[in-house]
Amino acid sequence: MILGRMLEVFVLGVRNLLRNKLRSFLTMLGMIFGVASVIAMLSVGAGARHEILSRIQELGVRNVILNSVKPPEQIKPETTETQWKNKYGLTFEDADYIEAVLPTVERMLRVNKIRQRLWYGSKRLEASVLGVEPEYLEMFGLKAGRGRVFNELDARKKAKVCVIRRGLVRQLETVEDPLGMWLDIGDFPFQVIGILEDEAFRSHTRKALNIDAAAQEVYIPYSTSMRTLGTTTFIERSGSQEFTEVDLDQIVVTTRHQDEVLRTSQMLHAALGRLHDDVDYEVVVPLELLQQSEQTQKVFNLVMILIASISLLVGGIGIANIMLATITERTKEIGIRRALGARRRDIVIQFLTETTAIAAIGGLFGCLFGVLGILGIVQLTNWTAMIAPEYVLISLVISCSVGILFGIFPARRAAYMDPITALRYE
Amino acid sequence: MDNDEVLRLEGVAKVYGEGSAALEVLHGIDILVTSGEFVGIVGASGSGKTTLMNIVGCLDRPTRGSYALNGEDVSRLDDDKLSLVRNRAIGFVFQSFNLIQQMTVLENVELPLFYSHTPKRERHERCRALIEAVGLSHRPGHYPTQLSGGECQRVAIARALVNEPALLLTDEPTGNLDSKNGEEVLKIFHDLHAEGRTILMVTHNPEIAQGLPRIIEMRDGEVRSDPGPGSGRLVAEALA
Repeated sequence: MILGRMLEVFVLGVRNLLRNKLRSFLTMLGMIFGVASVIAMLSVGAGARHEILSRIQELGVRNVILNSVKPPEQIKPETTETQWKNKYGLTFEDADYIEAVLPTVERMLRVNKIRQRLWYGSKRLEASVLGVEPEYLEMFGLKAGRGRVFNELDARKKAKVCVIRRGLVRQLETVEDPLGMWLDIGDFPFQVIGILEDEAFRSHTRKALNIDAAAQEVYIPYSTSMRTLGTTTFIERSGSQEFTEVDLDQIVVTTRHQDEVLRTSQMLHAALGRLHDDVDYEVVVPLELLQQSEQTQKVFNLVMILIASISLLVGGIGIANIMLATITERTKEIGIRRALGARRRDIVIQFLTETTAIAAIGGLFGCLFGVLGILGIVQLTNWTAMIAPEYVLISLVISCSVGILFGIFPARRAAYMDPITALRYE
Repeated sequence: MDNDEVLRLEGVAKVYGEGSAALEVLHGIDILVTSGEFVGIVGASGSGKTTLMNIVGCLDRPTRGSYALNGEDVSRLDDDKLSLVRNRAIGFVFQSFNLIQQMTVLENVELPLFYSHTPKRERHERCRALIEAVGLSHRPGHYPTQLSGGECQRVAIARALVNEPALLLTDEPTGNLDSKNGEEVLKIFHDLHAEGRTILMVTHNPEIAQGLPRIIEMRDGEVRSDPGPGSGRLVAEALA
């Protein structure tokens, strides 16, 4: 009964809107743009959040990553010596200390990295060689596309095996199958047992994992690396030779629980502060990145809400304006309805239904255009956007609210007209 | 006799404005109309008959005095309750028809029932019957602009009757019609009177007024002459 009546009132409202299609459409435009911008911003916002989250998941929410950093003040002393040695970064002692002292650490992975010459037959390359635990590959999702990655057994045997990335395969320019071939790294022969899949790491993750976009890294077991290649990188430049010694390029600390991450990072800061004179390390906390991004997100949201509110406000004012004009035009009708027994609230409901219907229809079109627009933008740029089915609901809620809010004033004005004057209006 | 009373005005006055600008349009009107009467209200313009009609039609409230419709005092009701009274107890027929142009004949006739929350099916049935009664059964789906003036007024009469009002109130119903259509419409009112309906008609037209059983003459906001309650009934009924 009530539902039927609501439907009837709604049909009446829509019919009245259809009486003047062009005007209704122009009135709707404001809502269309308003809601479209809300939807566009929502999806971009959700996309950004998703992007950040997956970034952080790549690095592990429970992890704290320590990296060696070349201190900027380390400049070559003014000597005529042609040889000079440079030592910085995380040391074995740091790792041992952290492992022994920090209570919240569940697991710690040491990473060693040096630049080395790599020979394949007569072809010579410069390559980054990373000595890592087998678990490291697993943790960061480095999987073998062909062959296999090294395992616990290889590590224990300190086997001279390596896993290479695709970029290096291209660099070798060989017609042979790279799988199973032997490479000379430094003075040691290593057998290629696997070729890594192309992983779609984000630049941020690549930076944290010390790998570059060219994908030319070689991974060998950490134990093998310690026994064979050591920790010194030797660079020969015109006339001078430079040795750089870095014990550990990276230490990945995994805490027992996400809640312990921040405490652990504080303890690591304190411990490293005591152990190092220079700040030749950095502490990367993925969880902190999450929190930072949430801050950024807040600002973004605020701006978004502001812009959306302004466009919705403009849309709402448009509706109110047109409704006021419509009501003047329909004064006589209002008078007739009042004479026949319509209460003020019946008149209010009638006009509110019209404003809400126009806003809601505009809102749905806005939702559609917002989604289409964002799909277009995603095609043209490298933004990430997420589109969710609840956007339809959000659009409806927003537009109906605007319709009701901005319809109240004109509707009340119609309802409070003097019926006698309204009846006489021509 | 009390049960027959439809409309009782006692000392009804209407003042527009306040203070020194106040203008009293009606100065204490007493009228009693009983059921089944056909009453004409005549008077020059400015005599206050329109104001009186507005009050009787519950579109306005008297400043002083009391107005009882069907035994219920309606002179102090709020806007919502007045709307309800208009909807249930009064049927309006205006000079300019006052049909809603964007609605069909059927929809226009239905309108009072819409505001009395009558179920749709019942509405249709009652309205079709009434439209038939006023001789427009062939055009329920037409719009007022497609009808002649006489037809429009017949739609308006159907609309006024749809809620079975205690009082039919009409203001110059033939004023916008040619003489042939005017006569037809007038005949409908006489027929309704013969069915026992209570009708109050405001008119300028002395010819029309002559044909009415009871004529109340207004002048300068006062009742000049009134044959008295009960005189507006059918002669036949009075004899019975």
